[in-house]
Amino acid sequence: MSDDATVVPVDPETTPDALIERFGRDLVNDFDLDDPAFNEKFDETLNFMVRKCPVVHSKVGRGYYLINTQDDVRAAAQNWQTFSSAKGYMPNRPEGLPYLMPEESDPPIHTRWRAKLNPHLSPKTVATYEQAVRDDVNELIDRFIDRGSCEFISEFGALLPGWAFFKNVLGLPIDDLAMLVNGVEEGTFHPDLSERARHFAEVFGYLENHLKWRATQPSRGDLIDTILAGVTYDDGTESPWEHKVSILVDLTFGGIATTTFVMGSAIHHLATHSDQRELLIGDPSLIENAIEEYARFFPPVVGLGRTTTRDVEVSGTTIKEGEFVILTYACASRDPRHMEEPEKIDVRREGIPHSTFGVGPHRCIGSNLARVELTATLEEWLKRIPEFRVKAGTEPTYVTGYLRSMRTLQLEW
Amino acid sequence: MKVHIDEIKCSGHGRCAKYAPEVFRLSDDDGYNADRGQTIDVPAAEEKNAAIGIRSCPERAITVVAE
Repeated sequence: MSDDATVVPVDPETTPDALIERFGRDLVNDFDLDDPAFNEKFDETLNFMVRKCPVVHSKVGRGYYLINTQDDVRAAAQNWQTFSSAKGYMPNRPEGLPYLMPEESDPPIHTRWRAKLNPHLSPKTVATYEQAVRDDVNELIDRFIDRGSCEFISEFGALLPGWAFFKNVLGLPIDDLAMLVNGVEEGTFHPDLSERARHFAEVFGYLENHLKWRATQPSRGDLIDTILAGVTYDDGTESPWEHKVSILVDLTFGGIATTTFVMGSAIHHLATHSDQRELLIGDPSLIENAIEEYARFFPPVVGLGRTTTRDVEVSGTTIKEGEFVILTYACASRDPRHMEEPEKIDVRREGIPHSTFGVGPHRCIGSNLARVELTATLEEWLKRIPEFRVKAGTEPTYVTGYLRSMRTLQLEW
Repeated sequence: MKVHIDEIKCSGHGRCAKYAPEVFRLSDDDGYNADRGQTIDVPAAEEKNAAIGIRSCPERAITVVAE
């Protein structure tokens, strides 16, 4: 008997030589989220990995894995007992950065906090912010509509999510938004890990001061007061001050650093596809579904990490206990095993099973607010600026790591 | 048709109620499916919407159960 039946055939496209030829590095054995080639070939890499490489390894820093199919990502995200968040979500986490509650915790600590925080960002609650967000969309558009041009990210996309979150949810002054946006961006993407830690520390310091000040003020019954009130953990201890500060940091990271990318990408797609503009202007009821499709295709969170608590097999690869594993939401949302032609944008898809807001108990707590921001943006923008294009001679610029961000988008009309 | 909403898997994405609001209800408090852990009836006229809602759930938390 030959042993051939037990040999897994190697796809010629995934041999190291073929990968280096196409992507500049051996993706399967030596992936790097921060490689500029990933930023440049973002779509091609995602589409390739989800089809051909269910699990890839990185040798960068302390090393990490990426798991890429929708079934594997879902199974891992729902299995917190094996894929723990308690050691953080960032690959090669900067030294000295405190863990961010509740995102970097497991049940039951995670469950106690989410039960208190969820009502502040539920569909029913965020619906009450909808008109204020729409007014902010129009105020921002007022600033540049008569000029006939704008730089979308700095004049709209990086402002609206912060305004929506600070004004309606946190009660933070929007004058400090630019400093916080910069701190979060540099803390996420700076090539030097110690610089990332320094920028994050500034954000921590600012938000801790705000929390201290709010503790001296009468209760407003808002999200900050819920954080200050704290929770009782299952061992009977009260949540410590550091956990409360980290929750405010975690919410701020999520609230200002992510929606901008979906917004900018959707506007860029519409700027470059007049048929899609006409489609949504002709039938605005398609906008809500279009937002799901844009969120699927333009994921601001490439993937977030877990740490294995035991040896576990994922699509034929054994991952040892204690390894860092990225759940690549961006790949899972393009899995051809779960949708037709995932590499195409189709706003008429019926049922869009995407992972852009994460999967499992750590589902993005701001997903409902993000949808309000995106809906208000597309509805108002298309009413007021139905014809627009990318400024001649320019292209949008991006930066990518475990998050993806659009840095500039020049528009004119 | 009857469907079951998994109590643990439901994580509050809200997609079911967006596409099939006559079938799936969200809790006013936290926005998770109000019937999670339960098996509920889907009227025949709502089966198409329900199917889109079920398909949109990133958790695969809703399953059709044999009657």
